[in-house]
Amino acid sequence: MRRGGCAQTIYHAALWLVAIIFFAPVLWVALAAIKTKEDLLAVPPKWIFAPTIANIVDMVSRPNFWPYLRNSFIIATSAVVIAIVVSFLAAYCFSRFKPRGTNFLMFLLLSMRMVPAAAVVVPVYMMYVAFGWKDTWPGMILFYAMFSIPFSVWILKGFVDGVSPRYDETGLINGGSRLHVLFRVILPQVQPGLIAAFIFNLVFVWNEFLFNYFIGGRTTTMIPVSLATDMYAQAGIDWTFVAALSTVYMLPPMAVVFFFQRYLLIGMTFGTVRGEV
Amino acid sequence: MTNAVVPRGVAGRATWQVRAMRWFDNSRLFPVTLLLPVLIFFVVWNLIPLLWMVGLSFFNYSLITGVPEKFIGFGNYLDILSNVSAWQAFSKTFAWVFSTVAIETVLGVLLGFLFWGSARLPGRRLALTLFFTPMIITPVAAGTFWRLIYEPTFGVPNYFIHQLFGVKIDFLGSHAWAWGAVTLVDVWMWTPFMTLITLAALGSVPPAELEAAEIDRLPWFKRLWYVVLPHGKFILMLGILLRTIDSFKTMDLIYLMTKGGPGNTTELIAITLWRKAFEGFTMGWSSSLAVLLLLTAIAFTSIYLYVLNLSTRR
Repeated sequence: MRRGGCAQTIYHAALWLVAIIFFAPVLWVALAAIKTKEDLLAVPPKWIFAPTIANIVDMVSRPNFWPYLRNSFIIATSAVVIAIVVSFLAAYCFSRFKPRGTNFLMFLLLSMRMVPAAAVVVPVYMMYVAFGWKDTWPGMILFYAMFSIPFSVWILKGFVDGVSPRYDETGLINGGSRLHVLFRVILPQVQPGLIAAFIFNLVFVWNEFLFNYFIGGRTTTMIPVSLATDMYAQAGIDWTFVAALSTVYMLPPMAVVFFFQRYLLIGMTFGTVRGEV
Repeated sequence: MTNAVVPRGVAGRATWQVRAMRWFDNSRLFPVTLLLPVLIFFVVWNLIPLLWMVGLSFFNYSLITGVPEKFIGFGNYLDILSNVSAWQAFSKTFAWVFSTVAIETVLGVLLGFLFWGSARLPGRRLALTLFFTPMIITPVAAGTFWRLIYEPTFGVPNYFIHQLFGVKIDFLGSHAWAWGAVTLVDVWMWTPFMTLITLAALGSVPPAELEAAEIDRLPWFKRLWYVVLPHGKFILMLGILLRTIDSFKTMDLIYLMTKGGPGNTTELIAITLWRKAFEGFTMGWSSSLAVLLLLTAIAFTSIYLYVLNLSTRR
């Protein structure tokens, strides 16, 4: 589309306006994070104010903040790493050996991820209580690994399908073992799939609330649960704390959108839609 | 000098190792080994809870009454199907899915067309980051801070409403407004997703065909109908289906804002399930409801994969 200079400026301004409108609620909370309580509760709303870091300091000095943030990091990262390794092996198997029932298993995996979380949480909760896995690190991490496996398998199978089997044949004929082919020939070629699967499952686990609430506990609490349960102070909701914690916790997902924008489409559609944005 | 004794094969490994690896490679064990971890995960974390759930759904089992569980066959299912509030929640969920997906699709597609050809936008990456942020932030955080925004005494919208009309509206606390307020938040969160899908769909149209259409001076609606739609419709349909599934799943966002209230104004079926299971502790009843939701999800997934197959077979 060719436009004149003036028309193009208006067009670009409109695009920026749309972006800012969608970002405004987040911005309002980010501003609230650096306001004093009086400024936050002021009527009329204050756009110009003296910024303070008191809320951040208060949040950081709470005894639960660092442990819970650490839990978020450790649980999300280790669960997704396990999921990616397991999914890559399975995706390769599905793509090359096509065992009987491949399509059915892929379908089942995906269906499980499409069920409303509230439906799955009841039996999982009862199972965890019965087996004594509730509020244990392995229990939490392995659950989230399973949570990440369906999308990872789907993303990675799409990418392995895209690598011609001739690479496998060439590698095997030249004396490489199957493991060599798997890790040295195929793995480097599906790198974008690995990145997309890793990053987006990381975000999904990072944001997850319901399961952590039910099958976690004091030792494995992550920030979303802490946000939902610790937000009440003596007189109602502690808004400055909520604002500060939300803002800090939203920064990594926002960084993902900024730095991994190319992978956003793959990640949000588990690899079934490809294309440039 | 052990080197002289042990014969060396490929890559400096002992021959027996190479033989073992070759045997492993060629046997049927190899694909099984690849698949085994996923199967274990699937059985332990999906199949066992699933069977547990199906089993429980046939029992009258409550965590608090202390009455031993009793097999009642399809009693729970019949109870759900004859329960007025369950039907209300189902119809609310249907209305919720339909209205949010419809609004998000229309708005998202329009914005997608707006962003089509934004390649030379200054700071495009940053603008898109700001625009796409809502769909990827923590739903709990979003639910919580929208409560701040909707707050009747010091929320921003209420300030302007008070200036204009002299009243304050408790958006999340009133029967008249809660539904719309919650819908607005969902639309805010997921319209960018439909825009993303639209951009992908538009990107799949070959530029040569668009140029041909421009040379032929086709009017814009014919361009859409004959050039853009045939290429983009599958991606758009996949996007709509994904959004339908996700919208059907909505739970924590609403729960954080209204807890399904006031009354049961915003109580979707997933929230009914939550309330029955973790406030009423009727595990049998909620398991049967969960089985029904599972079947719905399987149906949705089948439709999705059917469309996906259509699009790849072309």
